Amino acid sequence: MAMENLAFLIPLLPALAFVLTFFLGKKLPSGGAIIPIIAIAISCVISLSITAGLLANPEHVVTQSVHWFAILNLGILIDPLAAVMLSMVSFVSLLIHIYAVGYMSHDPAKPRYFAETALFTAAMLGLILSDNILQLFVCWELVGLSSYLLIGFWFHKPGAASAAKKAFLTTRIGDVMFLAGIVLLFADIFAILEGKLPEGVYLLQFEEIFKFIPDLVAINSTILGMEVSHLTIVTLLFFGGAVGKSGQFPLHVWLPDAMEGPTTVSALIHAATMVTAGVYLVARTFPMFLAAPGTLMVVAMLGAFTALFAATMGIVMNDLKRVLAFSTISQLGYMVLGLGLGAVIGAEAVGVSMFHLINHAFFKALLFLCAGSVIHAVGTHDMRQLGGVGKVMPITFATMTAAALALAGFGIPGTSIGFSGFLSKDPIIEYAYLFATETGNWMPYLFAITAAFLTSLYIFRLIFMTFTGKPRSDYGGHESPSSMTIPLATLGVFAVIFGALTRGTFMEFIKSNFEHLDMNALAELGGYHISAHHGAEPILILWMPLIVAVAGLVIAYLIYNKRVIDMSRIVSSENPVYKLLYNRYYQHQIFVEIFSVKIIYEGLALASFYSDKMLDWLVNGTSTFLIEAGDSLRKFQTGVIQDYAAAVVAGVGLLVILVKLIMEVF
Amino acid sequence: MIPLNWYLALSAIVFSIGLYGLMTHKNGIRMLMCVELMLNSANINLVAFSSYNDDMTGQVFALFSIALAAAEAAIGFAILMSIYRMRDMIDVDKLNILRW
Repeated sequence: MAMENLAFLIPLLPALAFVLTFFLGKKLPSGGAIIPIIAIAISCVISLSITAGLLANPEHVVTQSVHWFAILNLGILIDPLAAVMLSMVSFVSLLIHIYAVGYMSHDPAKPRYFAETALFTAAMLGLILSDNILQLFVCWELVGLSSYLLIGFWFHKPGAASAAKKAFLTTRIGDVMFLAGIVLLFADIFAILEGKLPEGVYLLQFEEIFKFIPDLVAINSTILGMEVSHLTIVTLLFFGGAVGKSGQFPLHVWLPDAMEGPTTVSALIHAATMVTAGVYLVARTFPMFLAAPGTLMVVAMLGAFTALFAATMGIVMNDLKRVLAFSTISQLGYMVLGLGLGAVIGAEAVGVSMFHLINHAFFKALLFLCAGSVIHAVGTHDMRQLGGVGKVMPITFATMTAAALALAGFGIPGTSIGFSGFLSKDPIIEYAYLFATETGNWMPYLFAITAAFLTSLYIFRLIFMTFTGKPRSDYGGHESPSSMTIPLATLGVFAVIFGALTRGTFMEFIKSNFEHLDMNALAELGGYHISAHHGAEPILILWMPLIVAVAGLVIAYLIYNKRVIDMSRIVSSENPVYKLLYNRYYQHQIFVEIFSVKIIYEGLALASFYSDKMLDWLVNGTSTFLIEAGDSLRKFQTGVIQDYAAAVVAGVGLLVILVKLIMEVF
Repeated sequence: MIPLNWYLALSAIVFSIGLYGLMTHKNGIRMLMCVELMLNSANINLVAFSSYNDDMTGQVFALFSIALAAAEAAIGFAILMSIYRMRDMIDVDKLNILRW
């Protein structure tokens, strides 16, 4: 099959486009956008045809590998899991590149923009098809770098520059944990093999790692008086990386600020693709998570908590893009929760979570692009100044409504009829109910269902405030050019029908990914009891997600369109709940003022106070002596660097002559 | 196979170019670049010997030295940048306030 041999081109072509656009972009029309568009289009075609091939024959996994150094390799592994991600990323990236031609048309730095997005696409595609954890980590860092560059694209704005720095440093915490996980994993495998490395085996390949799972579970360490399996530590460290990248609590603080970049960047990187890398990492190493005692519980609880936590902040934001940013964090929480539910449904969790990931990529990219379309036409992010935009931008209004319905999850329970977001979010909530009945832990279910209500509320608040009613300020709106509306319409179609069309096939397809491993045995190692019976929920539980979604829509309609409640009374600085939410639970204050300023600075000040007192007499005596000595010696320092360089050269020359002399004499 | 001496000669030439530049130029950035040249000439030596002695240590060492050079360049440029902001020039001869 010719297409499979071309798999290595998927990340290489965008990488090449990065170099070409960066150096030649200025000389080409529209800032060289055409090069990355063509490159990504080819990558997309290759990815789609490989996916089609895999669909016909799921055993036919694409693998390629070349020696890198020592016992490491560079390789490609395209199994069903990677194939769907590849297709989604290259497709969404292609649409957003086309959209960006219109969106960025007034920006003078277009070549830099297109070069950086091409670099991002290359790194993301490389991350997805890595066949070993180290190569994945390298690409993981590369997407972090391009995210940094693109958030700070308008680096002359102080807000953008500091947001980029914040994103980079916050995700770094997760990345360090991920790296520590890799190091620990490698050291443990080394210990298991007792230093005898098998010939011709690359130890960090995923398939090789999975073979060591039973041995890894058996290694225990005592931490804080508790016996913890090393596999649990490794998976928790990996999950720490995912928490950073996928904006889970408490490392989510960078994602809302990342909206300082161009809207296309928010759509591509901070909604559809890069932030899902964390979820993908967990899905990719899911056999390890399934076999690690306790990890999946942490994953499920943290995901559910993040889903609710971010949704509560989404309902009070007034910035169009920030609402969507909190929505992204919340939906990522659902995906992470979906993976955590592997504790009761085993490998099926990967399918459930990945399905939501793909659907979310379509409708959230669409939401961002619609927001971008509004911002492009109107020139403001602030919803309080908008209103009535639907009249001047009908296409944007229609596509955004479709995306909102998908996000809120409208559909008919028990059937395959519904918007894509419904078909993927609903199983997560249902399985969360199963999780509750099996383990007696109701927190994930309650959080997930409450978050579903809030999701519907905040997204329709956004729709009603922006698109309906009367304009609240003077803006000269117009519908966007066709290079922007065509991607909108395409994504709109996907947001509506993709879920319904592919649901059954998708689940089967992803399920075949781990079929060669004995998942039940792995779950037993992790101490999880996989429940065989599901789909037998009470009727109320089945309809609950739809009920809360409709409730959210109705409440948003009553408040923000009909204005039955005077919001200005609730939205005031006196209301403590509003204040808490609007200030985002004072996270910034907690992190910066209490943690860094109080603890670190004041601690240092206290320490220095005591050291001053005790050491003063010693220091003063020494310094007086040294000052005297220095006074006489400092004339050597002329301050001219050439003098110093000459002295160094002369010294070395003397030394060489001296050595030569000594060697000849003796 | 290229003889070892050629590598050593190349290294010596690069080193001399770097040294010459360092001694004659006053522009901070040029001097920094010359220092990089000198460092890299040492790397050429390391890699050449490592390759001829069939010993990986030299190459590993060269990698370390490249990493160090990168750190050094980053700090150097940061210093020059702040000097430029303060003084509007990077002529190192005029920067003698730390002398005595």
